[in-house]
Parts: sequence; structure tokens; C-alpha cells
Amino acid sequence: MIQLSHVTYTYPDQPAPALADFSVSIEPGEFVLVVGPSGAGKSTFLRSLNGLVPHFYGGRWAGRAEVFGRDPVVAAPRGMADLVGLVFQDPEAQFVVDTVEDELAFAMENFALPQATMRKRVEEVLDQMNIAHLRNRRISTLSGGEKQRVAIASVLALQPELLVLDEPTSQLDPQAAEEVLIALRHLNEDLGLTVVLSEHRLERVLQYADRVLYLPALGAPSVLDAPRIVAAQLPLVPPLIELGRRLDWRPLPLTIKEGRIHARRLADRALKSDDRATGLQGGASGPRPGSSAPPLFGSVARAVAVSDLHYAYDGHRALRGVNLAVQRGEFVALMGRNGSGKSTLLKQLVGLLKPDQGRVTVFEMDTRQARMEEIIRRVGYVPQHPGALLFSDTLALELAFTRRGHGLPPDPAADQALLARLGLAALVERDPRDLSGGEQQRAALASILVANPDLILLDEPTRGLDYAQKRGLTDLLRGLRAEGCTIIMATHDVELAAACADRVVLMAEGEVVVDGPAREVMSDSQVFASQINKLFRDPRYLVVDDVIQALATRGEGPTNYT
Amino acid sequence: MPSNDTFHPVAWSAWLAAALLPALSTRNPFYLCLTLLAAAVSYLALGRRSALAKSWGAFVRFGAFLWLLTIPFIALTAHHGEIVLFRLPASWPVIGGPITGEALIYGLTGGLSLLALLLVFAVFNVAVDQGRLLRMTPGFIYQAGVVTAIAVAFVPQMVASWQAIREAQQVRGHRLRGVRDLLPLIMPLLVTALERAMQLAESMEARGFGGQVLAASARQRIAEQLAILVGLGALGAGFAGLGFWPGHRVLVGLLLAVGGGALIWAFWDQGRRVRRTRYRRWRWERGDRVVLVVSALAALGWLVAWLARGDWLFFYPYPPYSPWPTFQPALGLLILALAAPGLLLRPDLQHMTT
Repeated sequence: MIQLSHVTYTYPDQPAPALADFSVSIEPGEFVLVVGPSGAGKSTFLRSLNGLVPHFYGGRWAGRAEVFGRDPVVAAPRGMADLVGLVFQDPEAQFVVDTVEDELAFAMENFALPQATMRKRVEEVLDQMNIAHLRNRRISTLSGGEKQRVAIASVLALQPELLVLDEPTSQLDPQAAEEVLIALRHLNEDLGLTVVLSEHRLERVLQYADRVLYLPALGAPSVLDAPRIVAAQLPLVPPLIELGRRLDWRPLPLTIKEGRIHARRLADRALKSDDRATGLQGGASGPRPGSSAPPLFGSVARAVAVSDLHYAYDGHRALRGVNLAVQRGEFVALMGRNGSGKSTLLKQLVGLLKPDQGRVTVFEMDTRQARMEEIIRRVGYVPQHPGALLFSDTLALELAFTRRGHGLPPDPAADQALLARLGLAALVERDPRDLSGGEQQRAALASILVANPDLILLDEPTRGLDYAQKRGLTDLLRGLRAEGCTIIMATHDVELAAACADRVVLMAEGEVVVDGPAREVMSDSQVFASQINKLFRDPRYLVVDDVIQALATRGEGPTNYT
Repeated sequence: MPSNDTFHPVAWSAWLAAALLPALSTRNPFYLCLTLLAAAVSYLALGRRSALAKSWGAFVRFGAFLWLLTIPFIALTAHHGEIVLFRLPASWPVIGGPITGEALIYGLTGGLSLLALLLVFAVFNVAVDQGRLLRMTPGFIYQAGVVTAIAVAFVPQMVASWQAIREAQQVRGHRLRGVRDLLPLIMPLLVTALERAMQLAESMEARGFGGQVLAASARQRIAEQLAILVGLGALGAGFAGLGFWPGHRVLVGLLLAVGGGALIWAFWDQGRRVRRTRYRRWRWERGDRVVLVVSALAALGWLVAWLARGDWLFFYPYPPYSPWPTFQPALGLLILALAAPGLLLRPDLQHMTT
């Protein structure tokens, strides 16, 4: 049993508490999903379950906690380690040794378990997490999903009663995330392990949870109830639930399977049309809202041309014969598993890497010959980790640095306007490194956009963002696209790609395997399809607005279609 | 546990100690070249088996670059010596004057010891898995062992972060023109490294690291504190003696030994209270024993040379000393024997990677 009563906790040097008069009770064997906006205290709650809060962070703690009969504040993290296993967001950051089997044994060695016991438990967790084939591998050679399963196995070796996971799939591609979640469901259902997991991407996890704990912004009371009940109250939800709520589907579907029953009825009654064979009329088959179709041919209109591009590093062939042409004003989503070559391709486009073979031209500049100064005048690149960019004392100085680098004159008014557009106007004098994850992401974007690039390259821009931040980013990118910017974005986020991209390029093992309009590619794909598309399996419907718009076109209001 | 692609970490540790002695203690180019040769043989035999190996490769190349840079610098700026190779016009600032053979030799030998040091560390880090090394650290320095292992593991991560940061700033128009331009690179690197360190510390804490320590009795505590005091005092006197009493090497050696011994006892006694077990059991194989014995012999040879009358290790090319280094074939052979790991690794296993 997990019981927190009237807990108030404030981090050192922070004026407001991260948890205020917070109480919760979780039964053994439950699978509880923790959701809420960034900064609502999800990570703080998770870390309080094993005493890292307050022991590791310091700060002021008040209230009472009991986790399976132990008080984490008294026992401290070391005293809770055999009871609570904690898995972090970034699997790389939690490994101590570099082979799988040794990593699994690390915690048991700390607890001075006899060698025979350790051997037995290592075998058990290898089987439980289905990673026996990885036992002798170096951790650096594992894929993202494999690493996260090893991280889970390494805490399971102490046979905890409770497994706590802080956004364990946020850095994984859809397939790898699925692997991890299936493993967790197995642990919960077959072994009775209590699981408490926080996650921003509800569409991935909601179906597995017994109950959902919603932590709203500070001040509002938390909610802990059945997923269907909480989902009906959340301000921002996955597309499937949003559609269900807008069309008043009852019971509210949580899974594609549940939603399909409603979708079939809806399609039969309201969306049925004879236009599938004759082209996608009505509905939302055309280009994205706020965009005009880019001219398709002619080198003048071409922003990017990649032909037969090969690139290898450290003996690994990262790109193998990539061909790609992007017209000015297009919005292209690069998708594919971790390590498929997406980031490498982006770096080639901005000239950070030069082709081993083949040719890359950006706005008619050959990246092999053009100087970096010339390329970055037209191309902006936002890397995966905003922390790699931000170093100045204030956001204003950060923008000024980019201006200087590009030889542009200072323009505080323009900088202020850009920050306002990104929702950062109030933070102009703040230290960028003190901002939240979502704010840092936008600050990094601002520090690139200040140079007014014609082509924007984004590498996983929604990593760690909550729904509200993602919606803000989606609106911004659509706005930039409408202004004529060309955007190429590497992402695992299917819903973001569905909401923004005109075109999807699927990559695998350094090759382009599919390249086509977003609607076609996502409808054909089992893995890279949006929730709405999985529901209707119809290229006309990728996002909620497509369905609503189609209903409106047919004179149907969003009434009850149950 | 059998080590199929390398040797026992204790054997490698002995090798490291033996190879470091000449690299740290002499400028004699013969011994330094032999150390370099022995380390290079092992380094090449080990292959580029991991990201760490590659990052060390970069360090070694950087060391070689520095070395090549220092030779002309010293040769052109230090105008002492009797072997005048040629003269530059005295009116030329800094470099004007006689260019001497002694300066050239001094430049050659100075960088050589740095390069030898880097290569020896490169071999050790490529050969020894940090995890295995961590498991070999005895109880009393277990925690220090973990910290060291993590610090070493940070090298490739830092290299990767540096690369990412450099790229990110480059596309913002950043150019490295002077020291002030380092800030946009150093600051994110430091912040990233700190964040990673914090996350790892959190993860280790959550997995019970350092948690099983028994309380010490008052008597035990006093004895340990005394031993640490005596140990530090003796070591301090010993190191001071190295500089001030060059003629009393036996006494200095004794002080160092007593100091080291007292500290080791104190830490060992503290370590007895740390309860932890080991998952891996290492089995000593023939190759491990050979590497250990060869390393012990090389270290012994160095000790004899250090204590010997006339100092076999001393070399300083400028007058009044001879610019031509001496050479003791027996010591040379012992240093060369440090190539044993490279020769003993089986070719089919030399490039094993996982």
C-alpha cells in the first residue's frame, strides 16, 4: 500500500512548493498512470516514493508518507532500494557499468546478496524482460528500447514491490515504446508488481492503466480515478479521446479498438461517401490549413536536393544512397526508428557533415563546396538537445549571440516580437538554463529563428513536451509554414507529423523506404499512423479536425453518433 | 570469470604501474622510446574495440600533435647549449640566436614522456572494462573505484557532447577566434556534464549504492585516524625528501613505504565495514600471470635503476651534463617486455567487439 498524506514539499531556493497538501493512496498490484502538465509535480511525486525527495534534493518536506510499510523519508533512498525500483527518462544516464549482466548485478552487489542468489535473480530478470539474448552485450550497442528494458531489469533484480517509471518512453520510437510498455503490462499482470508511471504521451499508455492520477497545475486538487473518468476531465488529451469527447461518444473510447466501433457507425452514417475512388473531395484531403500548396517542379522552387547520398562514420553506414527533393514551402516529416539516419540527414542538409558520396544542394548551394556562413544564412538547425545551444546569461543575450554570428545588426524590437510569438516574452531576462524543458525547447528555436532562415531543420522538437506545449509548437510551425518557410523535421511523434506535415519520408537503416504525401504514407503504415487514421483507415482523416471538418461539410454537427 | 579478449584487471593494473614508472620518472629518450614501443604494440593489438578506444585514439593523436609542435618551439626559443646547428639573425625577436642540438634533444624528449603517458593510459583504458575494474577495487576503495570508473566513462560522453555543442554553435555562426569564444562551447559542456553526473548519482543512490556500511567502534575510529595522520605525515616527508635529500634514497623510500602502508591499512580497516558482494569471480589464466610477472619485473628493474649509484635514469642534455643519454640494456629489455600483453593477445580475439 502506498499512502501519502498532506505532503507539502518545496525544493531549495524555490518560493512555491512543488507538491502542496498532496494526498494519494495506491493499492498493491495497481498500474497507475501519472499525468499532468510540465511543472505540476509528477517527477517530485515519483521521487518521493523512494525518498530521493527530500534526501537527494534537500528542501522542505512536511506530511506523511508510507510505501509498503516503510517511511521513505526515514529509510532514505538506500533503505528503499529493495522496495522501490526507480527507472528514469533517459536510460543512458542511469547505467553505471557497461555490460548488461554486470548492470543487472550492480544493485544486488550493493545489497551484499550471496553470489548464488545474484545468479538466480539475474536469470529471472533476463527472462522477465525478455532480454536473455542481450546478457553479454555492451550497453552502448543496444537500441533505445533494449536499453530501457535493461534499465527496468536492473531495478527488478532487487525484487521490489513497486516499480516507478518517470517518462520511460519519451525518448523512444513508437515500436521501442511498445516493447517497453508490453513488458511493463506483463510484470503488472503476471507478477502482481505495482507500477506507477508518468508519461506525456497518453495515447501510448492510457490503455494499460488501472487508474490515472492527474496532477493539474499547482493549487488545483489532484484527481485519481479510472482512466475513462479522468480522461473525460483532462484539458488536453490524445486525438482519439478528443474526438470521442467532441462527438460525445459513450462510453469514451480509450483504445483504438474501442473507438473503432464508434468510428464504423460514424463512417456508415455521416462520413460515408463515394468519393474514395474519384479523389478525396470534401473532408480534409487537401493541404494543411493556413498553407498554400508549394510549386512542385522546377529548380527555382527547390529548397533541398539530395542525390545518391552515402555517409559513414566509425565504420557504420548511416546513410545509403538517399535521394530526396524538397520544394520551397513544403513541410516534411522524417520518420523512422532510432538510428535510421534521420539526424545524420539533417546534419548533411546544414553542411555540418559532408557527403562521402553523392551530392547535397540547399538553395542551389552544394554543401560540399559552400561555406558554412553561406549555408546558415538560409538554413536554421535546431538540435535534439536545446542544452547544446543555450549558454548566455539571459534569453535576450542568447538571441543577440545568433545575430552577431550571422553578422546581423541588433534589433531588440524584433527579438521581443519573436519571443512574444513563442510565448517567451516574459522570460527575456531569465537565464535560459533555468527554464523548463518546454521553455528551453522554444528558447532554442528562438535562437535559431532570430536569423530568419528560409529552411528550418528540427530534430525531435517535441521531446519531453506536454500536450499544451506541443499544441503551441504545432501552431507555431504551421504559422511558419504559412509564411513560406520550408520545414524538415525528424520526429517520432506521429501525431505531430499528422498535424503539421505535408509529406512524410520514412527512413530505415540509412535509406528512404517510403516518401509521399502524409495522408498516403500514414494510412499505409501500421506503425506510423496517427490515432485518427488508425480509427478510420482512410487517408482523408489524420487528425481530429479532418473528421470535424468533414462532418461540417456534410452539414452534420458534432452531435452524438453513438 | 574468463577474460576472453583481454587480461585480468589486476594484471593490467600492474602493467599500468610498471609502464607509468619510466614515463613519469625519466627524460631518457631510449627508455621513453621503449615504453612507447611496448605500449604501442599493446594498443595496436587491442584494436579499436569501443567508443572509449576511439576517444583515446583522439587523445593520443592530440598528444603526438602537441609533441611535434613543442620540438620546433623549444628548438627555436631556447638558445643554450654547445652543439650549434645553425644561427638565426640575432635581430630576429625571440627566435634569433644559435639553434642548438641540446634544445632540439630537450624538445624531443619533453614531448616524448607526455606521449608515452597518454599511450600507456590509452592502453589501460581500452583494455580494461570500467565495470570489471570497478568490481576489482577492494572494499576500502570501492567507492573511490566507482567514482574513478565513472569519471573515465565520462570521457567518451564528453567527447560526444563537445561534438554536439560545437555543431549547434557552429550553425549559429559561432567561430573560434580566441579564448573568449570558448564560452559558448564550455558552458553548455559543463552544464551537460553536471546534469549527467547528477542523474547518474541519483540512479546509483536509488539502487542502494554505498548503503551497507556497519558502524565503527570508538577504538577502531581512533586507530584509523591515527594511521591516516601517520600515513600522510610520512608521505609528505617522503615527497619532500625526494627534492631535498637526493642522497638519502633509502630513507625516502622507507618513508614513502611507511606512509603508503599506514594509509592502505586505514582504508582497508574502513573498507571491512562496507558490506558488498561480487557477482563476477575471476579466474587467473596463464596470460594473466605472465603479464603480472613481466610487469613486476619491469617495476623491480626500475626500482633498482632508481636506487643505483650514478642514477641510470637521469638525463639532461644541457651543459654541464652530456647531451647523449646513457643506456642500460638490462633495463631496456625489462621495459620492452611490457609489450607482452600485445604479443600474448590471440589474433582471433584481438578485435573482439560486442
